[in-house]
Amino acid sequence: MAVFTDTDELHRVMIDLWTAIKNEKEMAAQLLTSRLIVTFHYREPDGRLTVDCSDGQEMVITVGDCSKKPIVEMFMKSSVAHDFWLGKVNVPLALIQGKIVSKGPVNKALALLPAIKPAYGLYPSVIEKNGLKASIT
Amino acid sequence: MNPFVFHTPTRVYFGENSASSCGDFLRELGGTRVLMVADAFLEKSGALKPLIESIKESTGLEPILFTDVPSDSDLDCVNNATVIAREHGCNALVAVGGGSVIDTAKVINICLTFGGEILDYQGLNIIERKLLPLIAVPTTAGTGAEVSFVAMVKDHSESKKLMFGSRFLAPDVAILDPLMIVSLPAKLTAATGIDAVTHGIECFVASGTYSVFTDAICLESLRLLFEFLPIATIDGGNIEARSATLVASCMAGVAFTNSGVGITHALAHSVGAKYGTHHGMTNAVFLPHGMRFNFDTVYPRYARIAQFIGLAKPNDDGDDKALAAMLVNKVEDLLRQLKLPLTLRELGLPEFSDENLAELVDLAGADPAIMFNPREASSDDLTQLLKRAY
Repeated sequence: MAVFTDTDELHRVMIDLWTAIKNEKEMAAQLLTSRLIVTFHYREPDGRLTVDCSDGQEMVITVGDCSKKPIVEMFMKSSVAHDFWLGKVNVPLALIQGKIVSKGPVNKALALLPAIKPAYGLYPSVIEKNGLKASIT
Repeated sequence: MNPFVFHTPTRVYFGENSASSCGDFLRELGGTRVLMVADAFLEKSGALKPLIESIKESTGLEPILFTDVPSDSDLDCVNNATVIAREHGCNALVAVGGGSVIDTAKVINICLTFGGEILDYQGLNIIERKLLPLIAVPTTAGTGAEVSFVAMVKDHSESKKLMFGSRFLAPDVAILDPLMIVSLPAKLTAATGIDAVTHGIECFVASGTYSVFTDAICLESLRLLFEFLPIATIDGGNIEARSATLVASCMAGVAFTNSGVGITHALAHSVGAKYGTHHGMTNAVFLPHGMRFNFDTVYPRYARIAQFIGLAKPNDDGDDKALAAMLVNKVEDLLRQLKLPLTLRELGLPEFSDENLAELVDLAGADPAIMFNPREASSDDLTQLLKRAY
């Protein structure tokens, strides 16, 4: 069964998560240092979210169309994204299996993995807030 | 058992004089106009002759020869070759050379097949359909590029390496002809061979991605390499040793392209990118350090290798830590035997400034290979490893 019922729900959760990440000073600072613009493309349900750290000052989060050209794009099922934020995805294996597609300088995106690990701890409360607690049991 | 995926789309054809069967494979694959990408010295030495004859016999046409491939291939080279291939209407590629030549041919193949902007295909799993036929004939025994799903070329304008990864990048056929590598100098035989040893060891302990398939392949590959690499290095004309190392290197390629490598490769990539050092020789320096770093996490796996390659008797009930330590010592003995550099200083690197060290740590920390390492490495860990290796 799909974790998210529709695009709106997916977007709501991802915005809440990235807003929480943005509010975590240390994590946000590390992401801003990268100056990356990353677009996440989700499917089942479809969705799109762009995290723009390009000015190094403020993280700008956009859902749907974004005027900024991404440096890195990640493509995955929404359920893979959900499992990722729960810390349940073996990223190397997911890349080998083709469950995650990465477009652009993949090393730049992978370099951020250690920096965003603390967000695994934020995700359950985001899920709970959005009434999806059952999806993490 | 952990979940895994194992896939090897490349048909491997081994045998003395097998290079002269290239045309038969081309016919089968439907290639009628061939771009041959090769090392320049192979053309001069006449080593390409049997391949060219075979292609001519099969297609009725001489292949279009492109030999302007630098040792660290780049986008300019890819673009130049693509223009030439398009002008001649090439619909198949044959790559004859080391890893750089084969990687270049893979990236040319992307351009020829899809056209458009090559940077649109940079990344992992972007390419989702078959490319034009590609046959690879390795002339070194080490990189595994003849069967791997990845290709790397430099973008000099941006001073960075571009990575392309997709199972569709793997060549259709790998022709392993030991006669194509008999003239490889001892130093390069050793350096490329130790790259294959590193593939085997790192893949065998890769983080959650190895499988029973890659295990079996790594173990036999390492057994062959530990036995025959010293012989092939000392006695280049020994066909049995050349054959064993060529096949073992290909096997290690099949394994690592399915399961990844690790910290030794990440460090070697970073030093190679900054100082232009030879990939195999740089791996040689880092391999014992990488193994010691991972030791406590994976020593039972090292022990299995040690047992398989004959460092202990099959029924020996010795403890895993002792066996694993024997493997690390065996690797160091092999490096000495092959007269490979043991330190970065021997490799010709200047002493690190703080700034250079920090840059290398950043590069290694962002290298995709580090993801597959069984033990997480912090910036401090990488700094210490670089200092120790110096």
